[in-house]
Amino acid sequence: MPAANSTSPLPGAAPAVGVTVESLSKRFGTFEVLRGVSFAVQPGEIFVLMGPSGSGKSVLLKHLVGLESPSAGQTTVAGLDASDPTTRERVRMALVFQAGALFNSLSVYDNLALYPREHRLGDEAAIRDRVMRALQILSLENAAHKFPAELSGGMKKRVAIARALVMEPQLLLYDEPTSELDPVMSATITEIIATLRQRYQVTSIVVSHDRDLALAIADRIGILMGGELIFLGPSADLRNPTDPRVADFLNPRIDLEHPRFKHLET
Amino acid sequence: MTNNPQQTARVGLFFLLGMALIWVTFETLSGGKLWFKDKGYQLVAGFDSLKELKAGDDVRMAGVKIGDVALTRLAGRRAEAVLRIDSDKRIKADATATIVTQGLIGTGYVSIDLGTDAAPFLPAGGEIRTAATADLNSVMAQLGDLGRKLEGALGGLGTSLNGDSRQPGLLQKVDTILTENRENLSRTTANLQQITDKVNRGEGTLGRLLNDSRLHDELLAGVTELKQGATQARSFLANAEELVAEVKRGRGTLGALVYDQKAADDLKASLASLREVSEQLAQGRGTLGQLLKDDSLVRETRALLKKADRAIDNLDDTGPITAVGVVANGLF
Amino acid sequence: MPNTLSASPASRGTPSVTDRLLTWLPTPVFQVLHGTGSTLLLLGRTLRHVPSLPRQFGRFIEQCHLIGYTTMPIVGILSFFIGSVLALQSGHAGENVGYKQFIGALVGLTMARELGPVMAAVLLAGRVGSAIAAELASMKVYQEVDALETMNIPPERMLVLPRLAAVLTMMPVLTIMADLVGWFGGAIVSKYTHFISIEPASYFANLRQYMDFSDVLNGLIKAEVFGVTVVLVCCNIGLNTRGGPREIGASVTRAVVTSLILILVLDFFVTKALM
Ligand SMILES: Nc1ncnc2c1ncn2[C@@H]1O[C@H](COP(=O)(O)OP(=O)(O)OP(=O)(O)O)[C@@H](O)[C@H]1O
Ligand SMILES: [Mg+2]
Repeated sequence: MPAANSTSPLPGAAPAVGVTVESLSKRFGTFEVLRGVSFAVQPGEIFVLMGPSGSGKSVLLKHLVGLESPSAGQTTVAGLDASDPTTRERVRMALVFQAGALFNSLSVYDNLALYPREHRLGDEAAIRDRVMRALQILSLENAAHKFPAELSGGMKKRVAIARALVMEPQLLLYDEPTSELDPVMSATITEIIATLRQRYQVTSIVVSHDRDLALAIADRIGILMGGELIFLGPSADLRNPTDPRVADFLNPRIDLEHPRFKHLET
Repeated sequence: MTNNPQQTARVGLFFLLGMALIWVTFETLSGGKLWFKDKGYQLVAGFDSLKELKAGDDVRMAGVKIGDVALTRLAGRRAEAVLRIDSDKRIKADATATIVTQGLIGTGYVSIDLGTDAAPFLPAGGEIRTAATADLNSVMAQLGDLGRKLEGALGGLGTSLNGDSRQPGLLQKVDTILTENRENLSRTTANLQQITDKVNRGEGTLGRLLNDSRLHDELLAGVTELKQGATQARSFLANAEELVAEVKRGRGTLGALVYDQKAADDLKASLASLREVSEQLAQGRGTLGQLLKDDSLVRETRALLKKADRAIDNLDDTGPITAVGVVANGLF
Repeated sequence: MPNTLSASPASRGTPSVTDRLLTWLPTPVFQVLHGTGSTLLLLGRTLRHVPSLPRQFGRFIEQCHLIGYTTMPIVGILSFFIGSVLALQSGHAGENVGYKQFIGALVGLTMARELGPVMAAVLLAGRVGSAIAAELASMKVYQEVDALETMNIPPERMLVLPRLAAVLTMMPVLTIMADLVGWFGGAIVSKYTHFISIEPASYFANLRQYMDFSDVLNGLIKAEVFGVTVVLVCCNIGLNTRGGPREIGASVTRAVVTSLILILVLDFFVTKALM
């Protein structure tokens, strides 16, 4: 991982921040997505959140950056209420959206430069430096002047990650950062997450289905299922899960005789 | 995100163009004054008839707009126009307001003359002096009428004076009559002389009307009639004077003349009406008098002709250049 | 959507008396109130960012270009024909009544006080309002707005403020052009229509006699009100889009229709207020 060595975009001046989630519940209409989820992430920790599709992982991340507000319970970031819009002004948080959420009207370069420009973090030359370093880390130099519509799915994901890195966040939330990437790029992302924590004490919460990534870098892992946290503990504990639901989730058996495949037969 | 410099330039150009247009419109429509209507002060002008005048029409002094008609109302036996005058425009107490009808379709304005320097200013709410003005139609009618009257009177006079075989005693009382009316006669003569001189020199409306070849035929005809009348009057008066002189010298056949009451009365009446006419003319009263004194009719007629001219001129040049030209000349 | 306040965070906890009262309102009434309120709140939030306007200069210029420069041709074409038709109709109607001499004043006043600003605003709603609603709705649906918020860049500052400033700057320009082009349209028709045949000189003389700059200014003020309304409404509807791509289309329709209705309703009140 040569790029992240001496010229990291992150000076890391700001202190690491912790996150707490206390009996968080969220309803959409009558549909209850989260039901009393509680956990805490220590400053500088890497927390990996796993769970089946539709279990509410993305919704939980949005609560942490204040894009959703809880139906009950509370979330805090650095001790501040995460649903309060002013929290963002005090804590630099970045969320890598599952779908990228790139600004479609802006080029890749401008997507990355938007944050430093809007927050006046240096002149154009400094911003350019910062943006180009982030692009280098994710091997995106050649895509700098493309528009999001001209990128592949994996490239969009990388731009989204690069855009988060440019923010030099204290808290970095990844929503399935490796889901669309090849194994080499997945490994790079894994390294980035680890390096950022190691050097700059960046707190990371990673939503991922990637078991290898989770086992490799996670300090602790949480598994969300049916709106509840069915597992919370160090990654080592996952190797021999006691809960059958956890075991089934991590080691799914492909059972073609399962009744739900019936309707595929003609 | 950087802007394309061309885009910036276009926006700048577009904006400046818009502001320029707003400014030009402002200058054109309001003459650079603030848009808020000057509250000004009010004057009351009473007229026999306001004719076509209505609220919102201009009030102009020497042709310059100084206010507008705030409202029109009936007050007893007269019509009143309440004039709103710009607060920085003062009006002399001896200034006279007249209603001017502009163009044939009857948009009018109130014209106020400058008055004299010595007079004090009218206070707010005061009443301004007014004068009735003739409009073109009534001038035409009266002019023709007057000409006929004059001719009748002179014809009657001639008959009375010269007499015929059935009325030989006409001049028996001429001496007395002439002596009685001597003063009047000489005044009449002087007045008429003055008038005809003026007319010949091209002074006053009548003179100008005569010298203006493009004037309305009807008007010209009326004036010609009048001139004929005046010439006749002059020759008649010359005769009369000669006669008086002869009588004075004791010559002639006065003694032989038979007394004729009717002819004498006719003569008297004729002289009286002639005197009246000439006096009115001299004082500038009546339509003809106003014509002689006042230029406004000529100005009005001229303006009409000019407008017609301009319309004809405009018909000549067509095409897209016209629109621009019209803006340049007409609007801005 | 049921007539509840579930969408707003205010519905958390026990609802207040007003909130319970609002739930009882007929849905359309509720939506009108909701729309009015959220638009005004958006205005308030946007105005808080006015000091940062100089930093949005690039976006401001970009929006000026879109709102002003690229909208001008259609405004010109439309108002030319509006002015022409005004002259034609009034000339036709006035032929027998004898007021065709007043066509200049009629077209001038109608364009300046009414149709100039209204047509400019209608075109703004159709051309720019729809674009604003579509852009913001898609940004919302594709989470770009969410991304802005997590980056602590208020969408009001970056998306609404430049548009609002641009419309305030460009509306007078568009309107004066609509006015003037409409006047010329009327003048040309008055000259070349055989049953009118009024010379441009007398047309404009008549226009000038009966018009004051206050009439034009009146129209410019109206246009500003309309322009701000259109931009705010379209921004608000765009930013409040929920759901997927289909809702983008629905938002655009709603934004344009709401803008058009508001233009005409406001027209009445602004006209009355300025009298
Ligand atoms: N804005 C919303 N309105 C209504 N329901 C929602 C909303 N957002 C999410 N949901 C529902 O909440 C549930 C959890 O969604 P979420 O996106 O958190 O799933 P996820 O765990 O991230 O799944 P995946 O791994 O597929 O991304 C889903 O059933 C989804 O339908
Ligand atoms: Mg998800």
